[in-house]
Amino acid sequence: MMDAAVPEGGSYYAAQQKIYPREVQGRYARLRMLAAWVLLGVFYLIPWLSWNGRQAVLFDLPARKFYVFGLVLWPQDFIFLTGLLVIAALALFFFTALAGRLWCGYACPQTVWTEVFLWMERITEGGRSERMKLDRAPWSVRKLARKSAKQSLWVSFALWTGFTFVGFFSPIRDLLGDVLALSPGPWETFWALFYGCATYGNAGYLREQVCKYMCPYARFQSAMFDRDSLVITYDAARGEPRGARRRGADPQALGLGTCIDCTWCVQVCPTGIDIRKGLQYECIACAACIDACDAVIDRMSYPRGLIRYTTQNALEGRPARILRPRIVLYGALLAAIAGAWALAIVLRTPVALDVIRDRSALYRLLDDGRVENVYEVKILNKTEQPHTFRITVAGDGDLSLDPEPARFRVAGGEVYSAALRVRRDAYEPAGSQDVVFEVASESAPALHTATRGRFLAPAR
Amino acid sequence: MSIATQRGGELTPFGQAVAAALWCSFLAAAAATMLCFAFLDPEGLARGEVPLWWTTRSKVYALGFFLFWVTAAVASALTLFVVRRP
Repeated sequence: MMDAAVPEGGSYYAAQQKIYPREVQGRYARLRMLAAWVLLGVFYLIPWLSWNGRQAVLFDLPARKFYVFGLVLWPQDFIFLTGLLVIAALALFFFTALAGRLWCGYACPQTVWTEVFLWMERITEGGRSERMKLDRAPWSVRKLARKSAKQSLWVSFALWTGFTFVGFFSPIRDLLGDVLALSPGPWETFWALFYGCATYGNAGYLREQVCKYMCPYARFQSAMFDRDSLVITYDAARGEPRGARRRGADPQALGLGTCIDCTWCVQVCPTGIDIRKGLQYECIACAACIDACDAVIDRMSYPRGLIRYTTQNALEGRPARILRPRIVLYGALLAAIAGAWALAIVLRTPVALDVIRDRSALYRLLDDGRVENVYEVKILNKTEQPHTFRITVAGDGDLSLDPEPARFRVAGGEVYSAALRVRRDAYEPAGSQDVVFEVASESAPALHTATRGRFLAPAR
Repeated sequence: MSIATQRGGELTPFGQAVAAALWCSFLAAAAATMLCFAFLDPEGLARGEVPLWWTTRSKVYALGFFLFWVTAAVASALTLFVVRRP
């Protein structure tokens, strides 16, 4: 190991020690467990839900359609996906400013899957000290058995995760049938293995290194922080000077603070930091050190809170403010965009009409003194039911359509293309004009939309 | 101990740089793939002068993603290389 203060060979790098996080129990551990159960439950169960005889949530990339329960999104609805990403980013900013790295500690897939992999490691290889001893020990039958039990669990779970991931994009029941028949498609196999390997590598091996060296959010989250953001902090005023003492000894008489220097907060830390050194960017705010410290401090009969959720202002005895300009700004933006997004989803018209002018001719003069334009129309029926649509055209002059009536039956979730001719008297009015094509379902008149097109005609 | 990892699977500084470049470019590639194929339909493009395999959307999506990833990873790696302090 190199000394960080005296770089040798021009590098500040100190060799990383493998981190063996100690198991921890307490209120935040329970909260983390709950979050993990809910999030993993959502991930692993959702592809199995059905809705109207189809998979409830399916991102059907080959067909370019996203099914989310009753909603069917088309590539034309890409704006909604963009909106969702903007909302997610704003929510991350808002909650970071308010309560620190809640995302990292409780909700990030990296954290959640790492917890599952750690749990599997614990039930096969034992607790922290047993794992350290096992890794140091020479290979034996017992070590081989424990290591292979862990690997079997890890690999099976990673494969199941990859399979579930692909199940969001390819109907999962068919996929299961293909897998059981040992004939999964090549792309499905590839992506399941890809995602499975990523899960295995990230949650089994890289773990906290993803947060420390790879994650961009870990680096820029401090930009959302201020002195009133919730952070996990060691109360140095209360804890220092730290030192060991017998239970029941009076710390004041010994000239000590409440920290007994048991290092449990360091042992439970999944990123291997010492929270007593102050706020560090490696801290993912998982609160494991709070639980560990509370358990020790309860045994010492000291008041809890030596390590706790607090703000920098509160720690320094200044009044804590929840409503600050950045909270109001992030909150207002978040509410406005989320509201607009939800409204747009509700008001979204599940029919679209594309009108493309025929490129072969500008217009055609007919023998009867009229002028004709040809269009290719595309009706997109985004509902899941068939509809008979009628197209009408409006604009200056006596416009007529061919065919008339322009009625087309479009199956649910289909695009229908047709050629449409629009005619009017050549010089009434003279010159080109804008026309409006309207499409409406005959059985559900509320299902309608309109689009503007250009009608070309001679000026004189 | 290899060039990227040491005993126990912990990353060396070189490994950390590679991992950071790969991960950040992965995120960029995921976003670029979504954006690109929301507007481009491989089957729509296939009407023009494109190879036959373009007609399979899944294939083009996958190749598009990896092309974006490789491009972004090369850019990240070169950036890391040129800003490197001796």
